[in-house]
Amino acid sequence: MKSSRRCAPLSELTPSIPASSIIEDLEDLYENAPCGYLSLEPGGRIFKVNKTLCNWTGYRPEELLGQRLHHLLNIAGRMFYETHIAPLLRMQGFFHEVALDLVTAKGDLLPMIVNAAERRDSEGRPISTRITFLKATERRRYERELLDARDQSRSQEAAARASLTSERETSELREQFIAVLGHDLRNPLASISAGARILLRKPKDETETKVLQMMETTVLRMAGLIDNVLDFARGRLGGGITLSRNANTSIEPVLQQVVDELRTAMPDRRIETDFRITQPINCDRSRLGQLVSNLLGNALTHGAPGKPVLIRALTDNGMFELSVSNAGEPISAEAMEHLFQPFFRGRVRASLQGLGLGLHIASEIAKAHEGTLTVKSDSEETRFTFLMPLRT
Amino acid sequence: MNVSARNNVRINGSGERAMVFAHGFGCDQNMWRFVEPVFRSTFRTVLFDHVGAGNSDLSKYDPVKYGSLSGYADDLVEIGEELDLEGAVFVGHSVSAMIGILASLKAPGLFSSLVLVGPSARYIDDGDYKGGFSAKQVEELLEFLEANHMGWSAQMAPAIMGNADRPELGEELTNSFCRTDPDIAKHFARVTFTSDNRDDLAKVTTPTLVLQCSEDIIASTEVGEYVQRHIPGSKLVILNATGHCPNLSAPDEVIAAMRAFV
Repeated sequence: MKSSRRCAPLSELTPSIPASSIIEDLEDLYENAPCGYLSLEPGGRIFKVNKTLCNWTGYRPEELLGQRLHHLLNIAGRMFYETHIAPLLRMQGFFHEVALDLVTAKGDLLPMIVNAAERRDSEGRPISTRITFLKATERRRYERELLDARDQSRSQEAAARASLTSERETSELREQFIAVLGHDLRNPLASISAGARILLRKPKDETETKVLQMMETTVLRMAGLIDNVLDFARGRLGGGITLSRNANTSIEPVLQQVVDELRTAMPDRRIETDFRITQPINCDRSRLGQLVSNLLGNALTHGAPGKPVLIRALTDNGMFELSVSNAGEPISAEAMEHLFQPFFRGRVRASLQGLGLGLHIASEIAKAHEGTLTVKSDSEETRFTFLMPLRT
Repeated sequence: MNVSARNNVRINGSGERAMVFAHGFGCDQNMWRFVEPVFRSTFRTVLFDHVGAGNSDLSKYDPVKYGSLSGYADDLVEIGEELDLEGAVFVGHSVSAMIGILASLKAPGLFSSLVLVGPSARYIDDGDYKGGFSAKQVEELLEFLEANHMGWSAQMAPAIMGNADRPELGEELTNSFCRTDPDIAKHFARVTFTSDNRDDLAKVTTPTLVLQCSEDIIASTEVGEYVQRHIPGSKLVILNATGHCPNLSAPDEVIAAMRAFV
């Protein structure tokens, strides 16, 4: 096949000095070549060396002639030469790209890349060894840097591994501690709750009733916090949120119970419901109760106190949709980004501040149901919507 | 465990007695390519690579075991056991001279004679003892090994034997004879050049020949003479050959001295 692009012959492009008129001066080529030359007799003594190598090393030719190559090497180089290079040369008849440092007359080290070849007679006996030296200062520096970089990255990796391991151990311990703590906190809380309920049944004045109701609210809030902490710790411990689903029992009573509890605890707040559930929902009922409790708790905390909180639940189009909305200040764009992350807390009165786990746990529960939890917030209302598929 | 595969053991020749060749620090069993074939007509010759060198099984390289010459000597004894060797001739170059001595002490009867080529019982100077190197110089060598790229790209298995006279194959095999995993090379260098086996010399009961080169910077004549002086009944032959590898540079001289001894 012919190339479509034709190259002009070199002679057409360059002003002509006829090639035959330039004669390479071989003697000069040897002496002043851009590389060092050195020849050894079979016994290992230098019998010829070029000017370039003399210039580089600072020796006069007569100072090198009759010497061994060792004369130009430091001890390490000599040992390496004797144990590696000399055998190699003898065995394969040459060596290529060997790194050697020459020692100059002044004692400085001159990094070199060295090739060598044996010249042998017809019977294979060595006549001489020709060695070529190329300066390799920059290259050696670069290689050194590569090695250093390798060593550095190795040690950094080792350090990172070690710190990761210790970090993991610490975090595991911390989460185990939280799990145990959450568990231990539930029991005394149950006693307080039971005590308050007994007292509520007895006749009492208005102040006493108010205090007992406040106690109920607090207990409820605290129980919710503890649940969230436990779930969070468990999730981090690798178990995730586990579900025990049940499609045969209605979800509505659970939702109603959560609403009733909060109404009892906060009688001055209005919670409106709109339940239109016509199909069975295969879900973990107590988990959905926890999700609703977290969403309602959030709405009551952050919503405008004078306005009602609305909870809607309906089945439609093969989906179960549950939303909680409240009026009030919209959620800032910045807060929006972190809303479902653990330990994120919006700006609110200190006494109402929780752990910042409620929405995180709610979104984890949504995920466990292969559902989603999304939020829309503007000046009219803030609405959290949980959406899950009904198919099982 | 397959000792033969671990140490890439190669057996040639025929003969009642065996002759075991051990290579030193730097290369592999190819070191003996000009010497070993000559003895095939009268000996069963055994070549092997120390673990970490040549075509040995690198996965068997255990830094603890090979943290002293004794680990290498154990391998040598195991090779002897696997091949059922008795009264063999041991030929050890450089550091393998001491490895052979240690093996002869561990397994009396394994060897009937020892040929030590360029031996040194200790490389580092110690008081009146002149090993030829200072501790600092040995450290410099270790650093130098790190800086040299022979072996860097070297996960490839080294050395296919027998193509010294076929340089057209050289491209692929360039420098492969002395290619070693850089970490192993460094470790072996450290173990070799910091070893001290002076106290073992007097324990040797096997007839021993020391072959000493002229002008050997790794093991000087003084060092060779020390070895000979301390091994009871041993002989010393000073070769005209120069350098540290007479088995490559002057095989005929080495062969002649060995023949006269065995």
